[in-house]
Amino acid sequence: MKKKYETPLLDELEKGPWPSFVTEMKKAAQKSDIANDGLGQLEKSFRTKRGYWKHGGIVGVLGYGGGVIGRYSSLPEEFPGVAHNHTVRINQPSGWFYTTKALREICDIWDKYGSGLTNLHGSTGDLVLLGTRTENLEAIFAEYSSRGWDLGGSGSAMRTPSCCVGPARCEWANIDTLDITYTLTQEFQDELHRPAFPYKFKIKTAGCAVDCVAAIARADLSIIGTWKGKIQIDQNEVQNYAKKGMNINAEIVNMCPTQCISYDGKTLKIDDAECSRCMHCIAKMTKALRPTGEKGATILVGSKAPIVVGSLLSWVIVPFIKAEPPYTELKALIHKIIEWWDENAKPRERIGEVIEIKGMRSFLEYIGVPPHPAQIKFPRKDPFIFFKDEDFEKVYKKGKY
Amino acid sequence: MALPQRKTDIGPPNYEQFLPPIIKKNYGKWKYHEELNGGTMVHVAESGDKLWTVRVASPRILSTDTIREISDIADKYCDGYLRFTSRNNIEFLVSNEKSLEPLQKELKQKGYTIGGIGNRVSNIVHTQGWVHCHGAATDASGLVKAIMDELFEYFTTKKLPNKVRLAVACCVNMCGAVHCSDIALVALHTKVPPIDHDRAGKICEIPTVIASCPTRAISPDPARKSVKINEEKCMYCGNCFTVCPAIEIHNPESDGIAIMVGGKVGSLRSNPKFSKLAIPFFYNEPPRWPKVVAAVKNILETYAKHARKHERVGEWIERIGWEKFFKLTGIEFTFVEKVLICSPDCHSCESRNPELIEFTRTGFPLKACGNDTYGYFRVFQQAVEIAPTY
Amino acid sequence: MEMDELKDKIFAFMEKYKGKKKLKEKDVCKGVAEEVGVSTDEVKKALREMIDVGKLMYSYGGGASSVEIPSEEYLREKGLIK
Repeated sequence: MKKKYETPLLDELEKGPWPSFVTEMKKAAQKSDIANDGLGQLEKSFRTKRGYWKHGGIVGVLGYGGGVIGRYSSLPEEFPGVAHNHTVRINQPSGWFYTTKALREICDIWDKYGSGLTNLHGSTGDLVLLGTRTENLEAIFAEYSSRGWDLGGSGSAMRTPSCCVGPARCEWANIDTLDITYTLTQEFQDELHRPAFPYKFKIKTAGCAVDCVAAIARADLSIIGTWKGKIQIDQNEVQNYAKKGMNINAEIVNMCPTQCISYDGKTLKIDDAECSRCMHCIAKMTKALRPTGEKGATILVGSKAPIVVGSLLSWVIVPFIKAEPPYTELKALIHKIIEWWDENAKPRERIGEVIEIKGMRSFLEYIGVPPHPAQIKFPRKDPFIFFKDEDFEKVYKKGKY
Repeated sequence: MALPQRKTDIGPPNYEQFLPPIIKKNYGKWKYHEELNGGTMVHVAESGDKLWTVRVASPRILSTDTIREISDIADKYCDGYLRFTSRNNIEFLVSNEKSLEPLQKELKQKGYTIGGIGNRVSNIVHTQGWVHCHGAATDASGLVKAIMDELFEYFTTKKLPNKVRLAVACCVNMCGAVHCSDIALVALHTKVPPIDHDRAGKICEIPTVIASCPTRAISPDPARKSVKINEEKCMYCGNCFTVCPAIEIHNPESDGIAIMVGGKVGSLRSNPKFSKLAIPFFYNEPPRWPKVVAAVKNILETYAKHARKHERVGEWIERIGWEKFFKLTGIEFTFVEKVLICSPDCHSCESRNPELIEFTRTGFPLKACGNDTYGYFRVFQQAVEIAPTY
Repeated sequence: MEMDELKDKIFAFMEKYKGKKKLKEKDVCKGVAEEVGVSTDEVKKALREMIDVGKLMYSYGGGASSVEIPSEEYLREKGLIK
């Protein structure tokens, strides 16, 4: 296919050392009208400083309510190739591991039906196929699903869960993030493909508090690995770090948020009872320190981007839960959490917002989790309390006070 | 040719079939890892097995041809296995040390960029921008390319006090993790969108348009069979444009970019943090946004010069204070009009105006309320003129 | 109630709101269950079958998904009518 458009502004973005998306678009444009006209329209956007896409609501595959994002050019006469420019979300394998055979298969199908352009990967984690026409969608779905690939989530639904590399290649993983993600994705297939929720619901799983998948900031339900035992210390390795130039007092001891580490130049000591398991010392001295004892997950809920009442970070709901196959307890908890949200949310309210509106008590009582100081930043700062009779009966009369 | 039989609700393929044998063997039994250079690390298992990872930059938008080329390389050196990271980098997984140097050599020959490991700038997480998004106030891929060209050596070689995570979102809906990044760019529309009433009446469903507005700024305009927008409440999010193209959110003259700093997601040392507004507005200057790029580099290098080892950008700023941050970076601190969106648990308005209780559920920009825990900064019309002279 | 009869009731319910209100799946299940006197799970099952064959469809707009009666264009595209 020959070059269709002059793209002087985009050509500027082929200069410089960083890999260029323009080069990728040009490669695809050699074979695809969609990519070619996409390039032409993008050049126009760069020239006029505005986008030319329209949102399309009702494209998809039969039976599903998500996985395809409808997009149309608002300049279809000028750029007919992108009159339709829908994206297809393919649910990625846990941890984004692939064989080249699988990737080539994905490419071959996509070249047949779409622009030849992809995102590896989209923000939620899906493998994104960028640009096709409405009439190709059923064929695309048949080709991919018959080879074992399903669509990802979109709209008011469970979104494609994702996770960090976990135990596949990381010594810090306290939980099997890949297996949890695969299991939960299978568990929620109906909720993922058929949007019946008040709004989107995201699950992300990280193996430790380093949180390489941003679970605490980008998921309604964040599953983060943690441990209960002591941090095991290899004093020889501590000395090796010191010999290699690490200033252990400045870099480790003084940076410990709970000040539970001491070092006298020979021996490193950790007061495990005061450790908050933040991962700083372990991450910086990975050869010398490692968590031991019981492993599991902390369950947090609520994070979201700012639309509409402001961004939220996830906060702790269950400080520690066992996370081992078949994950019965974990699954039951998540079902309860979603049920409460579904019952109480108005359209377009994320779970974090609904808990703020309805209160932690309503939420915790429904899901059957007792109040715990780990769930709060600090207790309330005033004594204006609505006392309920049942609280006297259930709590205060029987309590310690 | 007949299509194969579709299957539904099968979910993704099981990840196990994509794991290289060395990972299957040592799954969950890794002992430690070491960084060998800016883009290479080795993981050592309890068994003594070693797995080398070579990380390569990606523009995220990849053509099928490039994916095939990457696959050819992985076939040659990695037994046909590879993975991608949460920041869109490509990782080649090498189980045979002898393959490591030839792999790195071939990658360099073919123009791939190795880096992004350790205390460096990794790939920028970003959204679709003008390439594909209907509501974008800038182009994300172009901005990312321009910034990463400038910060290139911070990806490949140069070390920083800690890792620095950058993100770009092309509107306030923030499909990327912009709200918790060390340096975050978020594109903004800055004016109340004009309505083409003739078209709106014909092509848009009025109830849907009204419902789309998160601040309830849109109400019916029965005389024109259209809608009207309360300018006091509009925060230019563009959600109405999503459902009604007759409400034109794009404005090339006034769409632009804000820079926010100091966010993080990990819990190491200090709690995760939101990014905070540093510079409220830059005009779009495609193809290379020179002022934005210079501002990002300035913040990064000021941090690199002044922060202590292991401090993230946000931790450094909190230690020295925001006043010092603005002084050291030379960023002019300006007025911004904030859109107050009341928090559902605040209720301080109720005693003043009981009628507002109903509205608090969906978020109501409430000028009477002094609670500033939540809400947006709002680049007010005039503020565009007094934006920093960067 | 017979499945086919329930499906007719669901369709009638959808027609009643067509162009007036975007109905979420839950609105349909609750509304029809109340009107007809069956459980929401039964309605959901019937609704699912209708969506699977294109009698009804999912739509998306303004950040929310809904259920709708498909347009002729959609049915043609899916090869369900000529």
